[in-house]
Amino acid sequence: MADKHKAAPMVDEVSEFEILEIAVRELAIEKGLFTQEDHNAWTDYMHTLSPVPAARLVAKAWLDPEYKKLAIEDGVKASLEVGIDWVKQMPTQFGTPSDYCNLRVMADTPTLKHVVVCTLCSCYPRPILGQSPEWYRTPNYRRRLVRWPRQVLSEFGLQIPDDVEVRVVDSNQKTRYIVMPERPEGTEGWTEDQLTEIVTRDCLIGVALPKPGKTANDPRPVRKALKPYGH
Amino acid sequence: MSEATRKRVLNHLDYVGLLQPAIHTETHAPSPDEVTNDQYRAYTRPSHDIGGERDVSIQWEEKEEEIWEHNTFVTCEVLAWRGVWNAEERRRRQNVDVGQTQYLGLPYYGRWLLTAALILVDKQFVTLTELHEKIDEVSKRYE
Amino acid sequence: MSKPHYDLEHHVKKATGIGDPQCFKGEAGDPRFKVGDKVKIRDLPDVFYTRTQAYTRGCEATVVRLVYETPPAEDEAWDNTENVEWMYSLLFKQKDLWPEYADAFSQDTLETEIPEHWLEPA
Repeated sequence: MADKHKAAPMVDEVSEFEILEIAVRELAIEKGLFTQEDHNAWTDYMHTLSPVPAARLVAKAWLDPEYKKLAIEDGVKASLEVGIDWVKQMPTQFGTPSDYCNLRVMADTPTLKHVVVCTLCSCYPRPILGQSPEWYRTPNYRRRLVRWPRQVLSEFGLQIPDDVEVRVVDSNQKTRYIVMPERPEGTEGWTEDQLTEIVTRDCLIGVALPKPGKTANDPRPVRKALKPYGH
Repeated sequence: MSEATRKRVLNHLDYVGLLQPAIHTETHAPSPDEVTNDQYRAYTRPSHDIGGERDVSIQWEEKEEEIWEHNTFVTCEVLAWRGVWNAEERRRRQNVDVGQTQYLGLPYYGRWLLTAALILVDKQFVTLTELHEKIDEVSKRYE
Repeated sequence: MSKPHYDLEHHVKKATGIGDPQCFKGEAGDPRFKVGDKVKIRDLPDVFYTRTQAYTRGCEATVVRLVYETPPAEDEAWDNTENVEWMYSLLFKQKDLWPEYADAFSQDTLETEIPEHWLEPA
């Protein structure tokens, strides 16, 4: 049986995955199903993605109650104000196929904490949040979060008080979600840019809370790629 | 009625949680009398439907992306852009049609990749012979 | 032997400049349920495909939002897009989903989306 912790194969060994990937891409291009330019255009689009627009959406909502209302009511419309067009920004002009075009912004309150999972695959709002982290895609997170949310959150370092309602959002169809956490204490008078910095990817998934001075996700082990893709 | 359904659902989740990829030295295709309705439902369940299954806690990890993983994701999106499949068709093929063993046994993007290869064959854009020859040709570039 | 002919521009023509699920807006007719209604998830077969999670079957929930109109996943997974339905965002009580869920956290909930044909009045 393969041991996932055994030494990685030599880097100069070509994997079956690499070979098949090249074969599929080249065949699709040879058959005229798409062009190399299409492929490049999508890669260029991927390079524009990050969690920053979602963080800015939250920061704007903290500063502007009217915008917060809009964000909760119509996440796609609210995204426009942070530079994200869910329909027309992509090479398709009809949104990304995998992410569809329906964003909901789930606003926490002092008595309500949201956290997002996709139990069926790993649906994720890429256009406004970038690529999903590995742990979010694991069967483990997907199996357990819906049934033991407080235990899983505690593994991420979040202890939710007994009097707060934990609401798991299972992103199972065409809607994509981000969490709008409560604005933390100690940020009075901050600018939108300052606030944006503390809304990390993990805060937007719901497994972390924003805190003054904390501008990165909690450190976790990083599984190295054999031939890493440089974003 | 509803109570019976709830009981069956929870029992089902316990059951499918026990299914794991395995390497067998012989096959055991059972005769019909050896398959209960619970087992039928477990074997035919969509392999992606895992919410609520029991599991132990693990270390949460980040991961660097392989070049082939990035290219695979892009290929799948561009195939949808150009109308070869829609996203639901892709999700069905890569998360359910692959079956339980591949679902849990292969990397996340490994399933995307195999599915992208198969859609070309299933929809007759390429023959399987063409695909096989292409894989062979690409392999030889690295010998 | 014949090869099928696919209209590769089917979705492009329908969704360009509009988006998906927006491109199905107005095709589902009147919704059967409204916000606040109590519904129960049917225990339909799930052989071959579904996106209605097993853990929701037979459970009661409350409609919190009519989110969009779309073909159900079971249809769209084979590119059948004729029968468009309302999609509902439903709120479940965790205590209803999981018998062992702690009484101390009886306020905890779960929200997810289920298409109309999976629902019946509670």
